[in-house]
Amino acid sequence: MNFCSFHHESMVWQQKARLRIDSESDDGPFQVLICWQCEDAACAAACPVEAIILDQQTGAWVVQEDICVGCGECVTACPYGAMYLDETRGVSIKCDLCQGAPECALLCPTKAISLERVI
Amino acid sequence: MFAYKGFAGKWLYVDLTTSKIEVCSSEPHIAEAYLGGSGFGTRLLWEKVSPQTDALSPENFLIFSAGPLCGTLLPNSSRIAVIAKSPLSGVYGDSNSGGFWGPELKLAGWDAVVVVGKSPKPVYLSIQDDHAVLCDASGLWGLTTSETERAIRSEQKDAKIKVAAIGPAGENLVRFAGIQFTPQRSAARVGMGAVMGSKRLKAVAVRGHGPVRVADAKRFHQLSVSFHQRLHQNPIYEAVTRYGTPGITSIMNALGRFPTRNFQLGSFPESERIDAEALERRAFVRHLACFNCPVGCDKLFRVPDGDMAGLALRSVEYENVNALGGGIWNGDLDQLLYLNRICDEMGMDVISAGRAISFAMELWENEILNLDDTGGIPIRWGDVAITARLLVMIAKREGFGALLGEGVKRAAEKIGRGAEEFAMHVKGVEIPGQDGRAQKSMGLAHATSSRGADHLKAFPTIDETNQPDDALRRYGEAYLPEMANPLETRYKPFLIKDGEDFCAVVDAVGVCKSGGTNVFTEFYWEDIAEAVEFATGMEMPVERLKEIGERICNLQRCYNVLHGITRTDDRLPRRFLLEANPSGNARGSTIDLEPMLDEYYDLRGWERVTGYPGKEILLKLGLEDAWQRLCVFRKASESMI
Ligand code: SF4
Ligand code: SF4
Repeated sequence: MNFCSFHHESMVWQQKARLRIDSESDDGPFQVLICWQCEDAACAAACPVEAIILDQQTGAWVVQEDICVGCGECVTACPYGAMYLDETRGVSIKCDLCQGAPECALLCPTKAISLERVI
Repeated sequence: MFAYKGFAGKWLYVDLTTSKIEVCSSEPHIAEAYLGGSGFGTRLLWEKVSPQTDALSPENFLIFSAGPLCGTLLPNSSRIAVIAKSPLSGVYGDSNSGGFWGPELKLAGWDAVVVVGKSPKPVYLSIQDDHAVLCDASGLWGLTTSETERAIRSEQKDAKIKVAAIGPAGENLVRFAGIQFTPQRSAARVGMGAVMGSKRLKAVAVRGHGPVRVADAKRFHQLSVSFHQRLHQNPIYEAVTRYGTPGITSIMNALGRFPTRNFQLGSFPESERIDAEALERRAFVRHLACFNCPVGCDKLFRVPDGDMAGLALRSVEYENVNALGGGIWNGDLDQLLYLNRICDEMGMDVISAGRAISFAMELWENEILNLDDTGGIPIRWGDVAITARLLVMIAKREGFGALLGEGVKRAAEKIGRGAEEFAMHVKGVEIPGQDGRAQKSMGLAHATSSRGADHLKAFPTIDETNQPDDALRRYGEAYLPEMANPLETRYKPFLIKDGEDFCAVVDAVGVCKSGGTNVFTEFYWEDIAEAVEFATGMEMPVERLKEIGERICNLQRCYNVLHGITRTDDRLPRRFLLEANPSGNARGSTIDLEPMLDEYYDLRGWERVTGYPGKEILLKLGLEDAWQRLCVFRKASESMI
């Protein structure tokens, strides 16, 4: 979450991380809420202004911030809890695979997160 | 906006007597001279808490202080320092915890929380980003540390609140009561929990949603990534992530550096029943980590069956395995975990509590204590049931437990009859899980540490095992082979002086010594200087950072001098000087402390006879005010003779 927010915001700001670590207790078990870059992306389908577009090169669904109206439809639609609303900017944010080289996968010490191409 | 990034730029001042909460701006000149963390705390204590102030009086300050690197992207950046005058030593005190509380404080937008006064009724402080309020804690008083955390989270309906809480030991002013931080991490040493209890402050709960900014994002990011990679490539990475600090148990036994039976021995014959491998086999559940830490030295343990079935806990450290294992002659792992749990829930330092028990056991062995003294309780070596009972009695200050809760020094004075011989302390603080006879540098470190017997103020790790690699990397060929040899005294005063200055900086920026700086001996002056420069935007050549470390150490020393500390207090118990360690590699060795002390004072620019800092060094460090107070103090004490 820290490297993620730093990549996108140039500061540690967990509220702006594009992935979240969730657990019922401090002692785990821990669940990573992360975007799967679905083939049939529910977020993109739910978006009323078609602001979420597939980047052909990286394979990531990317929010066009200038188009996004901040309605939050995508947040509700995502079955993996991987879309968030950026409350200070009023747009939705999601994992864009760090333009192709995701830092979480690069730095995860236990390799709990990795990048794999499925299609 | 504060001049420097990394810092939040403001801190909270809470007067519990009047229930007043003020917002204070961080001052650039303090940040430049002391950074934050315990550096900030040292300066504040020096200015505000006079030598006449009793540690448990309302006038003492209790300072929670995060450093400029705490809560940043840098690996191991989780630490929070707690500073106050110590009720155990009566002099400068600080203690330090990992976990998530320190970073959360920064995310909420604060560098520090400074608490003074005494509340008329139990309260807790709740911080939600910019808002801080005092809440009634009458219903929490008496609860254990984890119960308190749970109660506050459910009261505020937020399971992500980070809590710093005291347990019954802190409420009852046990002199070595600690503060427990989410998640079950402790700032355990030298009685910070008792100071909190004396103020009737049950907890400080924090929730933050903001950012932690740095000055040069690009270079700070690069540095953080390289820190990650270097940790990964470090030869001990695998072992530390797998076992955490208990991983050194078997090595320390072989070295004779595993205090056993109140330091009668340097290794425990049954250590294989309680070492890291045994712990993993018996109770390992999963690896856990502090904020932003790729090491993850913490583990969750759960006892699978037997009497203690279901007992689950984390933060089982090497010190716990030592103090509640070999220290008290206990080889039963399940029971050890249970005793550990009692200390955590009651909120008291495992090291001091364990040493208080082993002290009592040795007195019993020597018939200095009898049933009349103990209220009918026989205190035999290895009796875990009695130990469990005594720990609770200490926390509740009941019967004989009340005496042990004073710490071994005071207890020995009250008991008399030669008990002092067996009180293993320096400056009133119980000695942790190392033996200065087996590692000479550590003996010196215990003697000179500003907070009393302690390994973490200088934390010499390069000469533990006689492997030259770390010593070579840090200090070069010229210092070998002696520098790497634990039994050699040569160069060790230099190692301790340098280590103290470095650790002072580590505690002032808010990173972890179990990570890259000390346990891994991976990051050193150059690395931390870069990190501070990129994070804060302060120009930070290595020499300047070294001066900051030296300044903090000297000011702590001056503070202690004003409290009557002299060379005679930089001592070790007689046992270390005269009784040979009979175990392992250390077999036959004692420690010759005085020549090392001479050299250490010379290196520091302190007087050999008194141990007082000299004029030259204090002026060089810009501590004119300290020099003046020292002069006045010296005149006053000389006129008393
Ligand atoms: S945000 Fe959710 S729905 Fe959209 S691509 Fe990612 S996982 Fe699928
Ligand atoms: S090394 Fe251990 S104590 Fe230090 S920050 Fe990492 S997990 Fe926490």
